[in-house]
Amino acid sequence: MPLENPFQDPLRFERRIPECAVVIYGANGDLTKRKLLPALYRLAYERRLSTGFAVLGISRTPMSDDQFREKMRESVAQFLEDSPFDEDVWAGFAQGLYYMAGDIADAASFSNLAVRLKEIEDGRHTAGNVLFYLSTQPSQYAVAAKGIGAAGLATGNGWRRIVIEKPFGHDLASARELSERLHEVFRESDVYRIDHYLGKETVQNILAFRFGNGIFEPLWDRKYVNSVQITAAESIGVEGRGGYYQEAGALRDMIQNHLLQIMATIAMEPSATFQPNSVRDERSKLLRSIRVMKADDVLANSVSGQYGPARIGGADVAGFRQEKGVDAQSQTDTYAAATFFVDNWRWAGVPFFIRTGKRLPKRVTEIAIQFNSAPHAVFGDNGDDTTPNLLILRIQPEEGISLRFLSKRPGAGMKLRPVSMDFNYGSSFGERSPTAYETLLLDAMIGDATLYTRQDMVEASWGVVEPIMNVWQNHKFEFPNYDAGTWGPKAADEMLARRGHAWRTP
Amino acid sequence: MSTTIQPERILRELAELWVSLGKDSEHGQASGVLRACAMTLITLAEETEDPTDVWSTMAALMPEHPSRAMVIRVRESAARELASRVFSQCWMPFGHRRQICCEQIEISASDASLPDLAAVVLPLTVPDLPVILWCRSARVFGLPDFSQIAKIAQKLLLDSASFPNSAEVLVKIGRRSRAGQVLGDLAWTRITRIRELISQIFESRKYLARLNEIAEVKISFGGSVPPTAAYYLAAWLLDCLESAGAHPRLSWESAPGDPPGQLSRIELTGAAEDGLHIAICASGDRERPCGDVQIDSLASHTVFPPDNDYVLLREELSIPGRDPVYEKSLTRAVALAAAENQ
Repeated sequence: MPLENPFQDPLRFERRIPECAVVIYGANGDLTKRKLLPALYRLAYERRLSTGFAVLGISRTPMSDDQFREKMRESVAQFLEDSPFDEDVWAGFAQGLYYMAGDIADAASFSNLAVRLKEIEDGRHTAGNVLFYLSTQPSQYAVAAKGIGAAGLATGNGWRRIVIEKPFGHDLASARELSERLHEVFRESDVYRIDHYLGKETVQNILAFRFGNGIFEPLWDRKYVNSVQITAAESIGVEGRGGYYQEAGALRDMIQNHLLQIMATIAMEPSATFQPNSVRDERSKLLRSIRVMKADDVLANSVSGQYGPARIGGADVAGFRQEKGVDAQSQTDTYAAATFFVDNWRWAGVPFFIRTGKRLPKRVTEIAIQFNSAPHAVFGDNGDDTTPNLLILRIQPEEGISLRFLSKRPGAGMKLRPVSMDFNYGSSFGERSPTAYETLLLDAMIGDATLYTRQDMVEASWGVVEPIMNVWQNHKFEFPNYDAGTWGPKAADEMLARRGHAWRTP
Repeated sequence: MSTTIQPERILRELAELWVSLGKDSEHGQASGVLRACAMTLITLAEETEDPTDVWSTMAALMPEHPSRAMVIRVRESAARELASRVFSQCWMPFGHRRQICCEQIEISASDASLPDLAAVVLPLTVPDLPVILWCRSARVFGLPDFSQIAKIAQKLLLDSASFPNSAEVLVKIGRRSRAGQVLGDLAWTRITRIRELISQIFESRKYLARLNEIAEVKISFGGSVPPTAAYYLAAWLLDCLESAGAHPRLSWESAPGDPPGQLSRIELTGAAEDGLHIAICASGDRERPCGDVQIDSLASHTVFPPDNDYVLLREELSIPGRDPVYEKSLTRAVALAAAENQ
């Protein structure tokens, strides 16, 4: 038998997904309807799925295969992004959709699953390859994995992988415990912890920008970089998820996972190859190099915030404590900012300022790398705007890269002004970018874990965040400390001012 | 029509165009203009062709492959005639405030002035970026002075499906390729999605293990003689199968009811009666081509992208350099066509 497919043509063909079945727990939930099924349909539309492909949805609601197909048809048509809904493609895709009612807490449901999977494998030629996707409450991850293992479904003819969504634990100890429970059934290499931020095109483009070009990497260290700011701002509030958010908070919900992963991507050493473990090793090394704050330093190097009521655009906006399901005395952080340092040769002494929050003026995620000023003012002090060079990597809403540099103003005399050179991902490449879930689902089915988070990375992130969390938990904050629609608490500005910096206005 | 063109004048006009676009922006008519360029794209077309078709393809390509676009419209004439005009094309991406603009140059030339054309075109190419030449005319491709213009380009694109004799054009393309010219043939691009479909079938280890069983490759086509696409597909299939240890027989079948040049059906069949049988049937039309795949008892339906110049060029412009799979298949296709026409 040939070891490799002789028909491959990597210059022209897209990456192909081998035949497999995707088992989705929580198939009646929002994530499945809004993200997972639209992403899978889109992969079918792009001809990425193999002929032998199937989806088996599981949730507690009784439903027939046909009812599930109809429900998913409506969801896909509604939530498909930048893409047409094609009845013919749907008809072919829907043939591979199946459903069974089952409760994760019920051991018998896993025996039923085994029977159903065998039928699908025989009928759809899925070769025994199964991707389990747990789109459920995090508290059910370990139970589901145990059930899958007990029914003998974690091994079989083909590969078996499991995908879980954040949060991966609520602190270091619970993250470790979750990993241990998962490892009783699945090997770490078969556990795919999804962080949808890493699936975004621009986050991947950071790697291309840094390691595909020769001109930036030599400047990418303490000698040339003055500071780095990472901002992930949301203009919306908790949108009816007050109960959930009250238990999480901005530090846990955003910094522990998404933003530390972005920081790792920005600051990691070049990986020797673009192999999953090689890239993840470097990310992990970087996360382990972030200086862990001592309890005494936490309040000086981090800021917790919570939005209060305000009027925005002529409308009254409720404060966090006035949101439904939120305790009137809640100490939950809807804003979190921190100053991190990386203890390695490349980054020693360079501050990484990270902030995230809800009800900020606009929805924007971007990374700003500020370079050192020119060492000597050749043109004298003419009252020019001589702000230092700035490289901005925009992640959303308009993915792209901008470089700010100084240029001579036209006319007599040597007066300088900053200009911006923009690369806009969306308008430079008219092609539609895949959604993060398309990218990540494709990767999981192919077995490429580069953009997934590994256990050691999760633990390293908790190691950075937990000391901050511990101090915050024992401190009583005077909340609310920022108005909805503003750039966060004054204390965050002061944190930077103490080091001679200021937050950018994105 | 004038008989000379000064490249410097065209470049000056281009520069003025940018200044005027910039002024428009300062006067608030647009919130800034972004100049984008990734290549020089030269199109050679017959003057009798409707230029709107060519320019609308260029326009569609611009967001993804921003370029300085030149369209050279060639007329059959013994008089030496050359003329040019310069303009820009701008578009405002959805939800953005800044226009993106690309330069466009249109040159009219007669057959007799083709020897002068290379000297005009060369200074107009954008420095340090690839030059791609898309020749839409079989007649111009056959003119003796065509080679001088082709030399400017890093890659030459043509569509062998528009040539009257498939075997003859394959020989000509093969000769150019052997001489070192990087080529792209839209007839080859057109079969990418079918090739991808076949490749995807053998991503399955089950079918990969049965690849050696394949004893026959049968290609059905519209018209009476195999089109270049059929030769390409056969060449690629045979090369791939042989590299995996299979040595199938190739057979052709004419499907008289189908439009000439169309690939109608591809079958890969095992030797045993109950052996592997894969069939791909083309259906739909150029706007919505489809493929029905039958692998033993498993069937699926696939919708391909529309078969138009924009889609084909978009793929080819993404590969500015050599394409080893194409070059290997071209060599084999030339041999198959020669054998078929003996």
